[in-house]
Amino acid sequence: MLTQFEHFAVTEMMGKSDSPPRANGTFCFSSEWERKSFGMALALAKNGYFEWDDFRDELIAAIGNWEADHSVDRSSWNYYDHFLSALEMAVIKAGIVDSEEIMAAFATCST
Amino acid sequence: MSERFIYCEDREAYSTARVRALEALLIKKGVITERTVDTVLEFFETKMGPFNGAKIVARAWVDPAFRERLLADTPKAIAELDLPDGMAGAEGEHMRAVANTPGVHNLIICTLCSCYPWPVLGLPPYWYKDPTFRSRAAREPRAVLDEFGLPLAKNIKIKVWDSSAQIRWFVVPERPEGTDAMWEGELEALVTPEAMMGVAVSKAT
Repeated sequence: MLTQFEHFAVTEMMGKSDSPPRANGTFCFSSEWERKSFGMALALAKNGYFEWDDFRDELIAAIGNWEADHSVDRSSWNYYDHFLSALEMAVIKAGIVDSEEIMAAFATCST
Repeated sequence: MSERFIYCEDREAYSTARVRALEALLIKKGVITERTVDTVLEFFETKMGPFNGAKIVARAWVDPAFRERLLADTPKAIAELDLPDGMAGAEGEHMRAVANTPGVHNLIICTLCSCYPWPVLGLPPYWYKDPTFRSRAAREPRAVLDEFGLPLAKNIKIKVWDSSAQIRWFVVPERPEGTDAMWEGELEALVTPEAMMGVAVSKAT
């Protein structure tokens, strides 16, 4: 039997620096935007819009940069801040949307 | 209200707006639909996860004959239950259940997370892949369980099972005392992934 993409994608993250927060066998989403970020990234990779590994490279780099800048005070850490930034970067790099479109959509949504 | 709280609240609103914007844009372009996120996460939230293990254990608690069948031929017994398709698939086909008894406590470990029986237990915790945990759990399980808040009496034998590509183990914990009046669905809520890994026991509340 073929392994499900969802299983493969998440298993690859386990034990690595980009492994998502989890407890009691499930993901820990502290709000809906975190859940949606994760679901969108997984769905886009599953449907071939970008490679999951490429997305993870963005995420790992974002996490690494944050850690280098916050070697002492890590109280502002939120995994999904970096996840969302990596997702935005991935959709732009994949040519699905450009940054102007994202800015325009954000302006609409934040008013 | 502290400054930090205001900052966090703003950041939360900012992130919410960013995700809403991205989702709206991707829907408008026909890349995803409003159902996409729910569909992809359904796999973790309703199909493959610790809720399956909880159902299996609760059934074993209320049905001694099922418990025997589960220990004798785990995949066959699991197939009796109304669980999602795929339970007997890539990760489920080699599953083996071991049951705790008053004199024996079981603990499962594994080297690779790909060997974790996640259709039953869900996603592995952080420490599970930690080489220190694994080697110490194999060498001195009693000390490790004590650190997990599970001190076991000297007369209780501890068996450690190392999951591999061939066999993925999970533990059937003992049914907690004082739960005789509870029905199967209530009992499911008492079964945690940690209890099915053997680093905890099930408790009545």
